[in-house]
Amino acid sequence: MGFRNVFIAVFLGTAILVAAFMVNRARPARETAQPSAALVRASGKCAECHARETPAIVREYEMSRHAARKVNCLECHQAIAGQEKYDHRGFVLARHVTAANCKQCHATEYDQFLRSRHAAPAWAAVTGPKEFTPEQIAFSEQFHPGGVKRPPNALPPLEGPQALASGCQKCHAVGRPNADGSIGACTSCHARHAASVELARLPETCGQCHLGPDHSQIEIYHESKHGVLFNAQRARMNLSADPKRLTTADMPVPTCATCHLSGLEGLKTTHDTSERLSYYLFAEITDKRPNFTAAQVAMKETCRKCHPAASIDRFYQEAETVVAATNATVREAKGIMDRLASEGLLTKVPFDDPIKYLYFNMWHYDGRTAKHGAFMGGADFVQWHGAYELTSKLTEIKARAAEIEARGGKVPARAGTGALP
Amino acid sequence: MRVPARYRSAAAAVELFAAANFAFLALDIFLAHSVNEFARWEEWIPFGFSIAAAPLLLASFLAGGFRPRGARAARALGLAVGAAAVAVGVSGLLLHLDSAFFERQTLANLVYTAPFAAPLAFTGLGLLVLLDRLVEAAEPEWARWVLLLALGGFVGNLGLSLADHAQNGFFRKTEWIAVAGAAFAVGFLATALFARSDRRFLRACLGVMALEAAVGVAGFLLHLRGNLEGAGRTLWDRFLYGAPIFAPLLFANLAILAAIAIATMLAGIPAANRA
Repeated sequence: MGFRNVFIAVFLGTAILVAAFMVNRARPARETAQPSAALVRASGKCAECHARETPAIVREYEMSRHAARKVNCLECHQAIAGQEKYDHRGFVLARHVTAANCKQCHATEYDQFLRSRHAAPAWAAVTGPKEFTPEQIAFSEQFHPGGVKRPPNALPPLEGPQALASGCQKCHAVGRPNADGSIGACTSCHARHAASVELARLPETCGQCHLGPDHSQIEIYHESKHGVLFNAQRARMNLSADPKRLTTADMPVPTCATCHLSGLEGLKTTHDTSERLSYYLFAEITDKRPNFTAAQVAMKETCRKCHPAASIDRFYQEAETVVAATNATVREAKGIMDRLASEGLLTKVPFDDPIKYLYFNMWHYDGRTAKHGAFMGGADFVQWHGAYELTSKLTEIKARAAEIEARGGKVPARAGTGALP
Repeated sequence: MRVPARYRSAAAAVELFAAANFAFLALDIFLAHSVNEFARWEEWIPFGFSIAAAPLLLASFLAGGFRPRGARAARALGLAVGAAAVAVGVSGLLLHLDSAFFERQTLANLVYTAPFAAPLAFTGLGLLVLLDRLVEAAEPEWARWVLLLALGGFVGNLGLSLADHAQNGFFRKTEWIAVAGAAFAVGFLATALFARSDRRFLRACLGVMALEAAVGVAGFLLHLRGNLEGAGRTLWDRFLYGAPIFAPLLFANLAILAAIAIATMLAGIPAANRA
């Protein structure tokens, strides 16, 4: 056998093999340096089918920061401890992707979120504490006394299960306990495949739930100078700026996230939506939060990126005056309601008399609106949608109370269960 | 029963090789196109063609139409099957080009896109069928054409095994065996084809082809084990979305084709040159 042919054959084979090694090395290490073959395969295999079957989610992912950093589908969708698994076309996936999956990379953000009212208290506001573990309840109660240890909302039994499932729970699921022991869904604000910072910074995202008469923040924001400026200059905002490097050059006008969560101009970012809130504005009678001083300092620090200290202090003083006036009006109405109850003229059954709706609407709609309007720069909401409605309803309550007292008896309108929300 | 000499020839072996491959391709295509649930009607064409081609080719073969001077009608039938196979392969290649890789042209897209060279298996088989009917197996060029087609097959196999295993990022080092096997098959067959080869080198090539067949069988068993142990709601799912179960057998398949060509070349070397 001639040596020449063997040499050529071996040389060719080796050269081809070396070329193959070099081509393979050209792939980004982020794609290939994974702990399992499935995690490598997911960098392209998932899109092979989903680009055809569910192209929108692939497109959403491609536009995301996750895609830019080559985070692949399986890194979020793989089943982790405590999650129900299922086999899907060669991959083992989590039946439900939860905050626990996000926590794998975003532990700090998850821990901050867990301390917020968006976590357990959000779900408990509808269902009470029954779906939470004792540890979860104890943890949340440290930060929000009575936020989880509370009765379920009294309205869903009256409105029906469809209102609960398709209404209340859709928003309050932001703090739903998951079977894997985690709480909440980061996707409520960031969406699923977009996993977007930009989305979380948009007022409309918060406005999906923070709207309507009971918490009309989005309407107030759009009335405020902040909202008007944002809508005018939206195209010039860099809403996808890195949260750790966000400056007023990126967002010279704030959205909800800027004031409540963002690390503007070097401030500390947070996912605890309660961290910069100094009052329980949502409450029947507003009181200071346990972290009142620290929260107010933190919020004022954010305000200081755009406003002088004197303006901020004056703004707070004016808003606190609205809180005090609203409290006074609601207290007067509450006094009437308590008196009727103590005289045995009202049952303990919630929402069985029109006056109970009247009082509920008064503090839950108009009282909140006035207070939120005051802290968010929504003048019309302080007065016409707030103070005026409070005054009007107080007058109605007084008239209705007089009727009840004149009649001197209980008039149950319809059956109800549970306690007042 | 005595088998006529023409059916014991190298040309007959190639003809049976082609018929068997068409039949097997039906199963392979069904699996491959089931992954996207035959999303486009065109995907049924290679499946239907494979089912039809095998018996038609066998009929042409049995009627003696697999040689240049064979039965006219049977030969025409075989030529038609061969030409259609070439057309199916080239059309398949063009349709596979409509993929993510050609939109974005990144290495990752190349790895995970539809294997655009795979339909050329039809073209290769079609050319073999045409070759049998256009060139006498006794002529020296016949074996060299068969060897060229086997070499082309191994070049394709090199690309497929590289891309398929790159999907896993060559997570297991053993996945490089297929690439190395294909690379050395290309090296030896190209040398046998393009350089003057003596009998001993051709025998060495036969040895290499035996190793290629072993690589194919080992790969098949590894893919089988991987799929049996892998994730999937059903066994069908595991084979559909798992490692391509029949792909490694392409090594053994092409080794057989190359061996037919090499054996014919060996037989054609004059006794005086036999070393």
